[in-house]
Formats: sequence, C-alpha cells, structure tokens
Amino acid sequence: MSAVVEIRGASKSFVGVQALDDVSLDLAGGEIHALLGENGAGKSTLIKIITGVYVPDSGTMRLDGAPVSFRAPREAINAGIGAVHQERNLVPMFSVAENICLDRLPTSRGLVDRAAIMADAEQWMKAIGLALDPHTPVRSLSVAQMQLVEIAKALSLRSRVLLLDEPTASITPHEAERLFEVLRDLRARGVAMLFVSHRLEEVLALCDRVTVLRDGRNTAVGQPIAGVGRRDLIRLMIGRDEEAAAPARPLRDRGAPSLELQGVATAASHRDIDLKLHAGEILGLYGLVGCGRSELAKAIIGAIPVTGGEIRVAGKPAKIGSVSQALARYRIGYVSEDRKGEGVVLDQAITTNIAVTVWARLARGWLRFLSAAREYAAVKPFAERLQIRAPSLAVLVGKLSGGNQQKVSVAKWLLAGTEILIMDEPTVGIDVGTKAALHRLIRELADDGKSILLISSDMPEIVAVADRIVVMNAFRIVGMIENSHSYPDMSATIMHVIHGVADVELTTAPLTEALVSSS
Amino acid sequence: MTTLDATAPGRRGLPAWLTRPSVGLVVIIALMIAVFSITAPGFLSPFNTFAISRELSVAIVLGYAMMVVLGVGGMNLAVGSIGVCVAMATAGLQAAGVPVLVSVAGGLVCGAFLGGLNGVIVVRTGLSSFMITLATMSIYFGAMLLLSGAQAIRNLDPAFVAFGRARIAGTVPLMFLVAVAIAVALTYLYRATDIGRQMLFTGANPKAAELSGVPVVRAVILAHALSGLLAGVAAIMLTARTGAGVPSMAGQIGRDWLLPAFIAPVLGGSALAGGSVAIVGTFLGATLVAILGSGLRMVNIGDFWIELFLGIILLVAVLADRARSLWSSGDVGR
Amino acid sequence: MIRDRLLRLARTENAGLVAILLIAVVALTVANPAFLTSFNLYVVLTSVSLWTCVALAQMTTLATGQMSLSVGSLGGLVAIVVGGLCELWGVPLPLAIIAGLAVGLAGGLLNGALIATSGINSFIITLATFSAFHGLTLGLTRAIPFYHMPDALKALGNARFGAVPFMLGIVLVVALAVHIIFTRTRIGRHMLAYGGNPTAAVLSGLSTKRAVIFAHALSGLLSAIAAILTVGRLQIAQPTIGEDWLIVSFAAPIIGGASLSGGHVSVPGTLLALALLAVINDALVLLGVDPFWVQVVLGCLILAVVGANRLREGRRLGEAVAR
Repeated sequence: MSAVVEIRGASKSFVGVQALDDVSLDLAGGEIHALLGENGAGKSTLIKIITGVYVPDSGTMRLDGAPVSFRAPREAINAGIGAVHQERNLVPMFSVAENICLDRLPTSRGLVDRAAIMADAEQWMKAIGLALDPHTPVRSLSVAQMQLVEIAKALSLRSRVLLLDEPTASITPHEAERLFEVLRDLRARGVAMLFVSHRLEEVLALCDRVTVLRDGRNTAVGQPIAGVGRRDLIRLMIGRDEEAAAPARPLRDRGAPSLELQGVATAASHRDIDLKLHAGEILGLYGLVGCGRSELAKAIIGAIPVTGGEIRVAGKPAKIGSVSQALARYRIGYVSEDRKGEGVVLDQAITTNIAVTVWARLARGWLRFLSAAREYAAVKPFAERLQIRAPSLAVLVGKLSGGNQQKVSVAKWLLAGTEILIMDEPTVGIDVGTKAALHRLIRELADDGKSILLISSDMPEIVAVADRIVVMNAFRIVGMIENSHSYPDMSATIMHVIHGVADVELTTAPLTEALVSSS
Repeated sequence: MTTLDATAPGRRGLPAWLTRPSVGLVVIIALMIAVFSITAPGFLSPFNTFAISRELSVAIVLGYAMMVVLGVGGMNLAVGSIGVCVAMATAGLQAAGVPVLVSVAGGLVCGAFLGGLNGVIVVRTGLSSFMITLATMSIYFGAMLLLSGAQAIRNLDPAFVAFGRARIAGTVPLMFLVAVAIAVALTYLYRATDIGRQMLFTGANPKAAELSGVPVVRAVILAHALSGLLAGVAAIMLTARTGAGVPSMAGQIGRDWLLPAFIAPVLGGSALAGGSVAIVGTFLGATLVAILGSGLRMVNIGDFWIELFLGIILLVAVLADRARSLWSSGDVGR
Repeated sequence: MIRDRLLRLARTENAGLVAILLIAVVALTVANPAFLTSFNLYVVLTSVSLWTCVALAQMTTLATGQMSLSVGSLGGLVAIVVGGLCELWGVPLPLAIIAGLAVGLAGGLLNGALIATSGINSFIITLATFSAFHGLTLGLTRAIPFYHMPDALKALGNARFGAVPFMLGIVLVVALAVHIIFTRTRIGRHMLAYGGNPTAAVLSGLSTKRAVIFAHALSGLLSAIAAILTVGRLQIAQPTIGEDWLIVSFAAPIIGGASLSGGHVSVPGTLLALALLAVINDALVLLGVDPFWVQVVLGCLILAVVGANRLREGRRLGEAVAR
C-alpha cells in the first residue's frame, strides 16, 4: 500500500536539545499505525511537525508522494491532516456543532448561517455515531465525548490522516472500546491513523504496524505488529529488557504503619481508601492514568481536602491542612509527576529549588536571617549525593536535562529529612541511566528506614522495585498484593485485579523469541 | 546586585551585566542629566536637585509598593486609594491632637491593614489580584470620602511638616534617606531572609511553591500588606511635603498613582509575571521618571506633556525587553 | 407546561439580573415615588446611554480574554479632537464626528497592533497607551475645555421624547450591532473562540492576530462614540472626559456575565447591568444617601459578581473531576 504520509530523515533541535535525529515514518491509508516511545523520546515533536506546528531543521515530508512543507497548522489542516491532541482543543462555551465547523463557519448574506452549521456538524457526528444534541455547549460534555467531537471535527476537515495522541488517557475502558470501534470503522474506509499511546496492551490489540522512537531516533520503522510481543516493544523503547527484578528485599517485621489511611474520602471524589505504609517499605501504587493516584497523593500531603475517614501518622491521627504542615509536622514529602510544572521552578537556580523546603528551618533570629552561603552549604551535600550534573548550582533548573531536573525535585525532600516520601511517576521521560540511579536511590532510602509510596503506571518498574503493590481504579482501591517480582505473574494478577476478570487477550501477549531488528 | 534569581550566563556572548536593564537605565539617566543641564539653566542647582530628590523619594517608595506585589505574581491597583486613606488617617489623627509618631504609626497600620485585606481576599477567593484590587480601589476610596467628607485637612503637626522640609548636609532631603533605607531593607528581605525567598518562589510558580511546602497563603498576604504599608509611607511623605492631607492627592480612586507605581518596577526589570524583583532597577526607573519630569518642566515643555513621554518610554521599554528576550533565546524565527 | 416554560426562562442567562433589576425598581418606587417621574427616568436613561458604549468598549476586549486600560483616555482624546475641530477650525459637525471616530479607531488599531505583534500582555500595553493618550489630550488642550460646541451636537446629547433621551436610540442601535457582531458574524465568533481557547483557535487555523486587532479597533471606535455623546450631553469638550470610565467599563460587562478569561460576553447582560448601576446610583440620590457611597457599592458589586462566578465555576470543575 502506498504511503499517504512519508517522512525521511527529519531532525529538529531546540536550544541544545536534539529532539529528533534522522527520523522516518511511513503512514499508509487504511491502517492504524502505532507510534511508541518513552516521554521525551520525540513523539510530540514528530507529531507537531506533521501537524505544521514545527518546521523540521532538515529532512523531507511527502504527502501522497508529493513533497510538502507546512509552516502553519492551517496548511496541515488544508492538506488533510487532522489531529486529536492530549489536551482538549475545543472552545468550551461554543456548541458541539460550532466547534466542529470552527475553521469554516458558513455565512449567508454576511451573517453566520446557524442552520448550515447544524447540518454540517450532524453529518459528521452521524458518521462516527456520536448521538448528541449539536447545540450542547462543549463544556458540559465528558472527556470521552469531547474526544469524539474532536474526531468528528478532524474528519469534517476531510482529513485523510488522523493523529491521535494518548486518546485513552482520561477515559474509561468502556469508552475506549467505543473509540476503537470508531477507529476500526475509519480504517475500513481508508483513513490513515497514527496512534500514540503508552499502553502497550492497546497497541498490541488495535494497531497494524508500529514505529518506535528512542532518544529522538528510530528503533523501528513500520514494523508489522503480528509476531511482536510486549517484551520486544519494551526493548525497542528503552533499549534493554525490563529491569531484571532485584532480589526481594529482606522481609523484616514491618511493625506499626508509619502512614495509615482508613476509610478516607477526598474532595477529588475518592471513597473508602484504606492504605498502610511502613517504615523501610516501598509500597507501589499502580493504576492507569486518570484513576486518581496523584490526587490521592495530593490529599495525603494536604493540597487537596480530605472529606472523610482518617489519616494516621506513626499511629496518631494527623490533621494535614497544607503541604507546609505535612512537611513541618509529619515529615511527608511529594515528588510531583508534573516535573516541569510542579516539581521544580524552571526559572530559578538549583540551589533555590533544593533549599526551598528548608528555608524556614535555616532562617535565624527574629530578623529571619539566611545567608546565601548557608543555603549553599546545606544544598551541596545533597546535590552531590544525587550526582546532579551542572556547571554550578547557580544554573537555572530549566537548563538541565530531564533526569537532572528530577534529581533536583527529589533532592529538596531529602534535604528536608522527609520520613514518608511519595514519588509520583518519578522516572517518566528520563534517560535510562538516571532511571536506574533513581531506583537504586529509592531502595537505599527504604533501607535507611524511610517509607516510600511509589506511584507508577509503568508495570515493569513497579514489579521490579516495590515490596507490595496497591492497585487503584476509578478513585478506589481495588486490590493489595505482595510482590513476587515475577513479571508475568504480577502483570496478570494486577490486570485481573483492575478489570475484575481474567482478561486473557491483554496479558498473555506472545513472549516469543522472534526478535525485532533494532536499528 | 539587582535580581534574586541566579546569574544567568551571558546572552549571545555579551557579559550578563551589560544586558541587564539597570545598565541601560544608568546610561539613559546620565544622558538626560547631560542634555537637561545644557538646555535648562539651573537644572543642576541645589534647589532643583533638592526638589527632584523629594519627589523622587515618593516615587521610589511607590514603585516598591507595586514591586513587592509583582514579586508574588500579582498586582495592586489600589496603591493610590490605600495611600490617600493613610494620608487622611494620619492627617486626621494629627488634627485631633494625637502625637506625630503615633499618628504616623496609625497611618502605617491602616495601610498594612488595607493591603493585607487585599491579600486575604485574593487567597480566600482565588481570584486575580487585578480584579480584587480593581474593586477595592473603589471601595477604599469611597470609604475614605465618606469618613473625611472629602475635606482636606490642613492643620498638621508642625514637627511633621518639618520632616517634609528637613535636609541632611544641606542638600539631601531626609525623606530621600528614608527611601534609601527602604531599598536596603527590601534587599535584605529578598536576599537574606526565608520570607523574601518564599515570596519570589511563589511568584515564579505558585503551584510548585505550594507543593514544596512554601506557605503560599502567608507569602501572598504579607506581600500585599507590605505593599499597603509602602503605599502608606509614600503617602505620608507626600503629605508631609505638601503640608496637608488632601483627598484628591492620588486622583479619583487613586488612579493617578497607577502609572508611576508600575513604570518604576517595569523599567527597572522586575518581572510582571512574578518571581524576580529588581530593587536597584526600580530605584533607577523612578529616578529616570523624576529627572525626565523635572527636566521637561524646566525647558517649559509643560507638565501636561510629561504623561505622554512616560507612556512612550514605558512602551519602548517593554517592547525592547521583549525583543531582547526573543533575541537571546534564539526564537526570532518563530 | 407553563411551569416548564417558566423554569426554562428562569435558567436563561440573564434571568437573575432581570429579577434583581425589577426588585430594585419596585423597591425604589415604593421608597420614593419620585423615581417614576418622567424627569427622573430621563436622568436614569441618560446615564445608561452615556455608559453603554463605554461598557461595550471594554466588553469587546474582554471577549478575547484581554483588557484595555486606555478606553477612557482614548475617549478623552476623541472628545477634544471633535471639540477642537469644531471650535478652532469651524469644521462642520459631521466631518468632525467622522474625524473623532477615526481617531478612536486609530487608537484602538494601535493597541491591537502592538499587542498582536509583540505578544506582550494587554495590561501593560494599554497602561502605556493610556498614559500616552491622556498626556496627549492634556498637552494639546493644557487642560482647558472647548466651550463652544455646535448646537446640533448639543441637541444630540440633550434631546428627548418625554423620558426617553434621543441618545438612547443611537446606543441601542450600536449595542444591537455589537451583539450581532458577536453572535452572528465570523470575526465575532473568531474573537470569542480565541478568548475561549486560544490554542483551539490557532489549531483551527483562525487568524488570531486579526481577532485581537479587530477587538481593540472596535473598542476604540466604541470609546469614540461614547466620547462624542458625552460631549454632546455636557455641551463642552472637556479633556477630563473618560477619566472616570475605568471601573464602570469593567463592572458592567462583568456583572452582565462576561467571563474574565475571555470567550463569553453578553450585550443584553451588559445593558441590564448598566441599568442596574444607573438605578442604584439614582437610588442613592433619591434616598438622600451620601453620594460617596457609590464607589463603595460599585466595588462591592464587582467583588460579589466575580466571587459568585468563581463559585459557580468551581462547582462545575468539581463535577468534572468527580466523573
């Protein structure tokens, strides 16, 4: 089948970071083509080039064999490329119909023709089976519905190419299945689809071919899915087998829990959360994106209100009204999953970002004196322990690599002497070396007697690192299992717990030895 | 010396200090002084420098009043209203026979209270400080009018008025030293205390600050209270200088103070979005404005045109700053 | 059936405002029957007429998620341009009016162009142009008003049919035009789309530069209309016209339901809000209340409305999270 979109040798760099290096992609009509890669591997950049947001520094792009070069999103749209991005790109106050027709509002006698808008929109909504009143304002729709509206919109642009970026991130499995039906239907009609997802199970079930990026380069181009297993995909994405399971850490008598949640309900609509975390333990919290794990973490540290139940720290009931209280009184810390937005402040120096948690403690006297030298002296040992690579500690954190930024984000909690540390997706988008270093650090901290709550949607990571695994789904705890560190067993068990039924298709992907050539 | 955040490496090969706003300001100020001393006889006379420095003192402190709120990522449109409230409170207390120091203290407490109230409303409602202070500028001004009946108060304590005329070493007004002392105190706050650092961190990224255990609520309220306090200081200085508490001193709802309060920090390089403050820069920005004003008056261009010049300067300054940051981050192509 | 219709009516956007306005009018009439006299109603409607275009001028920028601090000072500039042309150069009134409108349009275009090309936020740009326009106005006139306005202009501002000022007809037409622009024209929908979700607008290929420039240009034009009517009403062209426009220019659209972050405005809501503000102002006079209460009431109203909006939005976000 001839390629609809063909990219050869695309490269793109930003201020010192090579986002893409000689990348190729072959997208054919009538297929669902997966684009895989860790965060920071270059998927976003590639998509933005296809949709006209970025111009590549070098390389060619062909549409139906003819060379094209988009300088603005409008050009890509006109050429038939539609995209459904991770963030909703709909105008909340406008109706579904108007959002679908936004780029081409029909006019009659100078005024916008409402009837024409409705008719136009209904046509596309029907095409994907979206049964909604087209007058409905978009802001009152669910995330899944908004996604379908975006697909209708992309189709209405006569897109022959549809890019879907993490489409199942915030929707229920049932809604995802609905979405897949729509996509399969579009495939039958000859639409070329690029499907970007972190969920390997979905990719294996839905897609026809796969292209994989790692650190800005291809490790696979248009590889047929048949005969490819989960392990192969992971090897292509991260360059090695899933982390060899470390020997299970000696099971010591756990003693009384350092942190206990009983029947906790939160303003983020968690209900009946029961959780026990012990000193010296690494407790994994697994769940798919959107199931409420980060919100639970934020409730524990006091950033989201707790509306019911009790939280106990070291056996005593804890009233945590704010993060500063959680830190000062109970020594609880939180490494945010949103590294750049919440974990560090990009415009400030490394020293500032690490010392922030202890400024109040370091200040002396009623004049609250705190010299820069004192601040530096406090920060340096921790910067060294975590091996933060930077010309000096005065460098702005925004200039560091993702891995080093994450080290800064963790260092501030170590400096503050937190006893209970919640780490939310700590290794997403980080290079392999730093990832391993962070895992080592987590084990060291646990050996030192700290209590670690590790939130992750990366199953291999959790199976390798955690002592026990708590499983969450839809803002509730659905299971708690001891970790055998054996990946096939644990992944099956966890899936079982989440879906409530042994879903054979999803878990026993062929672990054949058919190797995929890694370029 | 100016900003708290780390010294960024020099842009495009130029040493960092050369690209800071302060350097440009010093150059422009020097140029202005040169031009005016030639074209306006008496510009550099002790009389004129004294007059400029008195005016400058008020402008500097007013600039700081806005700067401290910009630091936490907000703004305070009510500086003028708070200022006039403090002025009338202080004048009223003096007219009622209260000792000078107590009346000044009372006025400052009033300023800090009104500012702090702004801060409390901002954190409790989560609304933008623009909206909140837009509303309170009106409320505070209205309350002042009601309480004072819109009458000026002229019988101030002689000691107070004397402060307005006092000078050190024959040329430097006492109130200028007050402005300098405030500059030093603010430098101490932002460089050597935990509270100042927390304020700037909050301004740079409130969400990250909160999740790092910074008491964001306290930082914001303190910044607004400090802003009210400084607006009060500026108002007290002005009242001492003019010798009367006048309800119209900052214009209707205090709006005459908006431009001077913003222009000094913005010219000086304080980030409008928060996270960094330029103490020396604000000082120089206010100086530039004062010198320009005085010079134009002396060459008979007239008071009325000054605002036009200031508007153009502000525009040029922000456009230049924008061009500079685009150029240095290499994004000109976008 | 009737109950359903009533319920649906109650949920329409401005129902609350209409109710409050009716209550205020009734209460005021009871408190002081002088409210319903022809003259008093004329005063109230005149106030509404004068403020309408001021409020709409700010409303158009709010639609795109921005603001214009120079609404008032641009008005002042237009006022003295018109006044000056008439008094100093004897320019015929229609030409002077066109010149005034052109100045307003140009000022708005300047704002829009600066904001759109530099990407600097509208607050600081319009703060600078506000000073520039105000300084220009004062500099040109040395703060001295023009006292000899053409009779036609004075009539424009003061003619009335009973309780209804002639100006009201003009501003209602203007308001209708603005309403149609935002609800039924492409550029109007584009402005609101940009205000509602700038990324969506860009990705849909809309020209956001054009939307921003148009919004500010329209704002300038509306400032000019308001200024010209004010000159007519006051019968002199004062350089101080516009100096007190700031707060009301924000208060009315916001009370009328405009979203602070852009994407939603309501012309009917703004008009109702203006009516409410005028009635409140009138009430203070009729009830012999100290006029200085106006400032306080205005400020409190803004806080109340913005706070209520925030509560409503917060609840909705909570629902979204709970899903």
